[in-house]
Amino acid sequence: MLEIKNLNASINNKEILKGLNISIKPGELHAIMGPNGSGKSTLANILSGKEGYKISGELMYQGKNLNEISIDERAQKGIFLAFQYPTEIPGVNTSNFLRTSLNKVRKAQGKKELDALSFLKIVKEKSNELGMDEKMLSRQLNVGFSGGEKKKNEILQMKILDPNLVILDETDSGLDIDALKIVADGVNSSRNNEKSFLVITHYQRLLNFIKPDFVHVLSDGKIIKSGTKELAMELEKTGYKGIN
Amino acid sequence: MKNQNINYNQDYKYGFTTDIENIKAPKGLSEKTIKFISKVKKEPKWMLEWRLKAFNRLKVSKEPNWQKPKFPKIDYQDLYYYSAPKSMKDKPKSLDEVDPKLIETYNKLGIPLNEQKKLSGVAVDAVFDSVSVATTFKDELTKKGIIFCPISEAIQKHPDLVKKYLGSVIPISDHYFATLNSAVFTDGSFVYIPPNTRCPMELSTYFRINASETGQFERTLIIADKGSYVSYLEGCTAPMRDENQLHAANVELIALDDAEIKYSTVQNWYPGDKNGVGGIYNFVTKRGACRGKNSKISWTQVETGSAITWKYPSCILQGDNSIGEFYSIAITNNYQKADTGTKMIHLGKNTKSKIISKGISAGKADNTYRGLVDIGRKALNSRNYTQCDSLLMGNKCGAHTVPYIRNKNSSSTIEHEATTSKINEDQLFYCNQRGLNQEEAVSLIVNGFCKEVLQQLPMEFAVEAQKLVGISLEGSVG
Amino acid sequence: MLNFKINSSEIDKIGNFTKEEKNFRLKNLNYFNDNGFPNKKDEDWKFSDLKTIISKNFTKLDIQFAKSKKEKVDFIKDFEHNYIIITNGELSASDFRYEEKNKINLESFVNDNYSNEKENNPLINLNHALSNKGYYLEVKDNYKFKKILVIYYLFTEDLDENILNSKNKIRIGKNSELHLLEYLVNSSKQNFFNNVYEDVVLENSATLKNIYLQNNKSSGYFHKYSVNKLFTGSNYTSFIFPAGLKFNKLDLEFNLEGERSECNLQSASFIDNSEHQEIKTRVNHLSPNCKSHQKVKNVLNTEAKGVYQGKIFVKDVAQKTDAYQLSKAILLSESSEFNSKPELEIYADDVKCSHGSTSGNLDKDSIYYLMTRGLSQKESSKLLINGFLNEVVDSIKSNSIRNFIKTKLQTQLQNEHKKH
Ligand SMILES: Nc1ncnc2c1ncn2[C@@H]1O[C@H](COP(=O)(O)OP(=O)(O)OP(=O)(O)O)[C@@H](O)[C@H]1O
Ligand SMILES: [Mg+2]
Repeated sequence: MLEIKNLNASINNKEILKGLNISIKPGELHAIMGPNGSGKSTLANILSGKEGYKISGELMYQGKNLNEISIDERAQKGIFLAFQYPTEIPGVNTSNFLRTSLNKVRKAQGKKELDALSFLKIVKEKSNELGMDEKMLSRQLNVGFSGGEKKKNEILQMKILDPNLVILDETDSGLDIDALKIVADGVNSSRNNEKSFLVITHYQRLLNFIKPDFVHVLSDGKIIKSGTKELAMELEKTGYKGIN
Repeated sequence: MKNQNINYNQDYKYGFTTDIENIKAPKGLSEKTIKFISKVKKEPKWMLEWRLKAFNRLKVSKEPNWQKPKFPKIDYQDLYYYSAPKSMKDKPKSLDEVDPKLIETYNKLGIPLNEQKKLSGVAVDAVFDSVSVATTFKDELTKKGIIFCPISEAIQKHPDLVKKYLGSVIPISDHYFATLNSAVFTDGSFVYIPPNTRCPMELSTYFRINASETGQFERTLIIADKGSYVSYLEGCTAPMRDENQLHAANVELIALDDAEIKYSTVQNWYPGDKNGVGGIYNFVTKRGACRGKNSKISWTQVETGSAITWKYPSCILQGDNSIGEFYSIAITNNYQKADTGTKMIHLGKNTKSKIISKGISAGKADNTYRGLVDIGRKALNSRNYTQCDSLLMGNKCGAHTVPYIRNKNSSSTIEHEATTSKINEDQLFYCNQRGLNQEEAVSLIVNGFCKEVLQQLPMEFAVEAQKLVGISLEGSVG
Repeated sequence: MLNFKINSSEIDKIGNFTKEEKNFRLKNLNYFNDNGFPNKKDEDWKFSDLKTIISKNFTKLDIQFAKSKKEKVDFIKDFEHNYIIITNGELSASDFRYEEKNKINLESFVNDNYSNEKENNPLINLNHALSNKGYYLEVKDNYKFKKILVIYYLFTEDLDENILNSKNKIRIGKNSELHLLEYLVNSSKQNFFNNVYEDVVLENSATLKNIYLQNNKSSGYFHKYSVNKLFTGSNYTSFIFPAGLKFNKLDLEFNLEGERSECNLQSASFIDNSEHQEIKTRVNHLSPNCKSHQKVKNVLNTEAKGVYQGKIFVKDVAQKTDAYQLSKAILLSESSEFNSKPELEIYADDVKCSHGSTSGNLDKDSIYYLMTRGLSQKESSKLLINGFLNEVVDSIKSNSIRNFIKTKLQTQLQNEHKKH
C-alpha cells in the first residue's frame, strides 16, 4: 500500500525528517509514536501532499510514485488524513462541504454522484454511529467545535469517504474515554484486509482499543525502533529516553 | 564642564565673541542665521550648501495641519536658532530654585542628587559619573571601529559617511518641520557600526557628554553596516527642564544587509502644568530605512511628556525579508495632546512589520494613534500585524485611532485590531481588596496594559519606565 | 471633463422655485463649481479619486434628461411583497396591497430643507443644486408592515452620459416597523452617473430592516449619501449587496440620537474588472447605551479596488456605548487593491469600542484542508469565497428573502467564477 524509502524533508531550512523508512501492506495497521517535535505530523502532511517542504527519497502509494500528485488527487485516490488540529473554516456549511467532498471522491472513482437525499441518509447513519449531534452538520465547518467534536468530525469524514490509506494524527488526543472508544470502534469497524492505517499517537491507551500490527518509534526524523504492540507498553514504562 | 571649555577656546579663536555664554545666532530664520550656525560649527562648505538648500525649500513649504492637536501659531522669526549652553549665572543656583514638582518626581524615580542637578539645569561644575563612564565606553567602542560622536564632529571627521547618508531617509524636501531641522539643526548623535560588528553596549545620549544641551533641533544619524547590530537609547526617564518651546528633531536610521537597529526612546519633557500652561511642542521626524536584505529596525517609545507631541517613527522596508517594528506607549494627562504612530512602507519581498500601540488618556488630554501600513505591488508575501489599544480615564479626555491601511498585493496579509475601553473596574476592585490604594492599583493595571511594549525596552530603562507610567497618571483617578 | 462646471441657468430649466429654494440651489451650485468633482486631496476621497475617474470615463454629463417611457418591470416572484417603482430616480408607481393604506404616505419629493449648513462633500452640493426627483415615504406611528416593501430602482436603456440627482426621504413613525428591499435593476449599457441624497428618520422605538441589492452588474457610476437619524429605542438593520458598478460610493452616516438606539450594518461584495467600490460610514454615538455593529466584507478580483472608511465617534455623554466594526477583504488578483481606514474617535470612557481590519489572500491552511478532502484548488477557493460572503447573507432572518438573496449572489458568483 505505502512504501517510504529514505525520506528526507525540510522546511524553512530546518531539517525535520532525516532518512525515514516505512512499509505498510494492505490490511495492516501501523502505529507511530515519538516525542514532541520529532516529525510525526510532518510525515502525515507530506503523505497528504502539503506544499512547502523540500523532499527527497521515495514515496510509493499503491505502486505509484506520489511525487507530482496534488493534494486533492491524493485524496481522490484514497489517502485520508485526520488532522491533529482540524482547520476552522467560517462560512462553509459542514454538511455541504461533506457532500462536495464525497462526490469529488466518488466521481474520481467512477461512481455516481449522490443526490442530497441519499447523502443525508448516509451522513445521518454515520454520525449516529459516532454519537454526534446532527445539528453540528448544519454549523460552519469546525467553527466553534470543541476539541473532541473536531476529532469526531474527522472520523465522520473518514467513514463517509471510505479511503484506502488512513492517517490519524493524534486523533485520540482531547477525547474523553467514551469518545475514545467510539472513535476506536469507528476505526475497527472500517478495518479490512484492503485498507491500511497509520496511527500517530502519544498514548498506549489507544492501542488497547486499536490493535496495531506494528509500532514504530520516530525520533529526530528517523524511525529508531520498530516492533509490535509490546513496544508501546515498554515505551509507556521507560519513556523515549529508555529507547536506544 | 570639560567639553564646554574646549569649545570655549575654539570659539574664541574664531573670534565670534570672547564669552561663550553669550553666543547667540541672530534672531529669526534667515540665510544669515544658517550661515552663522554653520560657521560656529566650523562646517565644511558642502554642509552649508545642504542647509541652504533646505532653507530654500522651507520658504515654499507649509506647516502641516492634518494632525489632531492644533497648536498656537509659531512665529519662526521670533526664535533663536542657535544659542550656546546657558551660562552658569543664568542657571538656578541650587535645587531650591527648581520647581518642587520636578524634584518630587526625581525622588520618586530614585535619581541621585547629582544627576537631579544636572537634569534640572542647576549649575554643577563637578565632573560626575556619567562623564567618566562615557570615556571608558569610548575606548571600548573605538577598538571595535564603532563611531559614536556628536554629529557636528562627524561632519568634520567622517564627511564621506555623513554625505552619503544624511538626508537619505528624510530628504530635505520632506515636511515642514523636517526641512526646518535640516536647515538649522545644531547637534545630535552620529553612530556608525562597521560590518559584522555587534555593538557591545547600549548606546545612549544620556551618557554622551553635554547630552542635555543638544537643543531644540537635534539631528541623529545611525548607520548599521552589513551584519551589524546596535541598540540605541534616547532620552532619559527624568523630565528635563528646558526653555525651548519647539522641538523639531530628525532621526535617520539606516540598516544595511542583515543589520539590526533597535532604537528606544523615553520622552518625558515638560508637559505643562495642570492647567495646560507651558510645556514643549515635540514635533519629531523619525524614520528608518531597512535598506539591505534581512535587515531589521525596531522602534520602541514611551511618550509621557511634552504638551503636544507629533511623532511617527517609521520604517521603509526596502530590502527583501526586512522587518520593521513599532512598540509604543503614549500617556497623556491634564491638557497634553499626543498624535503619534508609525508608517510601515513595504517595498521589498517577504517584508514583515508589527505595530503595538498603547495609548492612555486621562484628565482633559487627547491621545491619537495615527498610522499607515502600505504594502506595495512588488512586496510579495509580506505581512503586517497591528494592535492598537486605548485606555480612557474619565470622560473629559479623548482617544482616537486613525489607521490608514493599503494593500496592493494579493499574496500579502494585513491584520489590524484596535480597542478602546476604560480601566477595568473588576481589576481595580481586586487590587483594592488586596490592599493597594487607587493610584497603586491604576499604576499596576496600566503597567500590565503596557507590558508588551515595556518588555521591549532594555532592562535598565524598563524599570524606570514602569515607575514613570505610574507617575504620569498621578491625580487622574479618584 | 476635467473642469466640469455647471451653468446656473440649468437650475431654471429644472423648475420654478421660491426665492429661498433658488438661493439654496445657487449657493450649492457655486460650492460645487468652486471645487468640481472631489479628488484624492480631499481626505474623504483619499482612496477614490472621482475627478480622475469621471474625466477618464465621461465625455460629457447631461443634466437634463427627457422623461423616459415606462419600463417593463420584472417583478420578484419568490415572495409576496408591496412595491414602489422608481424609474431613473423618479417615483413612477406603487402598490401597497398588503397594508392599511391610511397608515402610509408616499409622494413625489424634491426637497424640504434649505439649510444653510455648509456641506463638505461636493456631490451633496451638486445634489442640493440640481435634484429634481425623488420620493417621500412615511410609515405613520404604531404601524407594522405586514409584508416586505420592495423598491424597484430602474435605470432605463436610454441613459447615456447623463447625471441623475435625486433626493429621497423615509420616516418610520413611533413603534412602527418596515422591512425594505431596495432592488436595483439597470438596463443601460452606457455610462451614467447617479447621485442620490437620502434622509432617513427612525422615531422612538421604530424598526427598519433594509436590504440593498443590485440585480446585475452595470456601467453606472453611483454615489449615495445617506443620513440616518435614530431616536430612542429605535433599531436599524442594513444589509448591502452591491453587485458591482464601475464606481460605487456609499457614504452612510448614522446618528444615534436617542438612548438605546441600535444600528447594524453588514455588507458583502465581489468586485471585479476595474470596478471601484467604497463604503464609507460614520456612526455617531450621541446618547448613552447605544449599540452599533458593522461588518464589511469584500472579495476583490482583477483590477478591482475596494475601500472601506469607517468612523466611530463617541460623544462624552454617550456612556455604555458598544461599538464594533470589522472589515475583511480577500484579494484574489495581483492587480486588486484594498484600502481601509477604520477610525475611532472617543470621548467617553465607559465604552466598549473596537475595530478590526484584515486583508489578504484566502487562508492557505483552509485550502489545504479542503484539498485533502478531494476538492481541487479552484473548487476550494470557490467554496471559501462563497462561505466568506455567505456569512453575511446567513444573518438575514427571513427564509424566503435569505434564499432569494442567496440565489442572486450565487448566480453572480457563478458568472464570476466562469470568467476565471
Ligand atoms: N513551517 C515550519 N517551519 C519551521 N519549523 C517547522 C515547521 N513546521 C514544523 N516545524 C518543526 O518541525 C519539527 C517537527 O514538527 P511536527 O509537527 O512534525 O512534530 P510532531 O512530531 O508532530 O510533534 P507533536 O507530538 O508535538 O505533534 C518541530 O520542531 C517543528 O517546530
Ligand atoms: Mg504532531
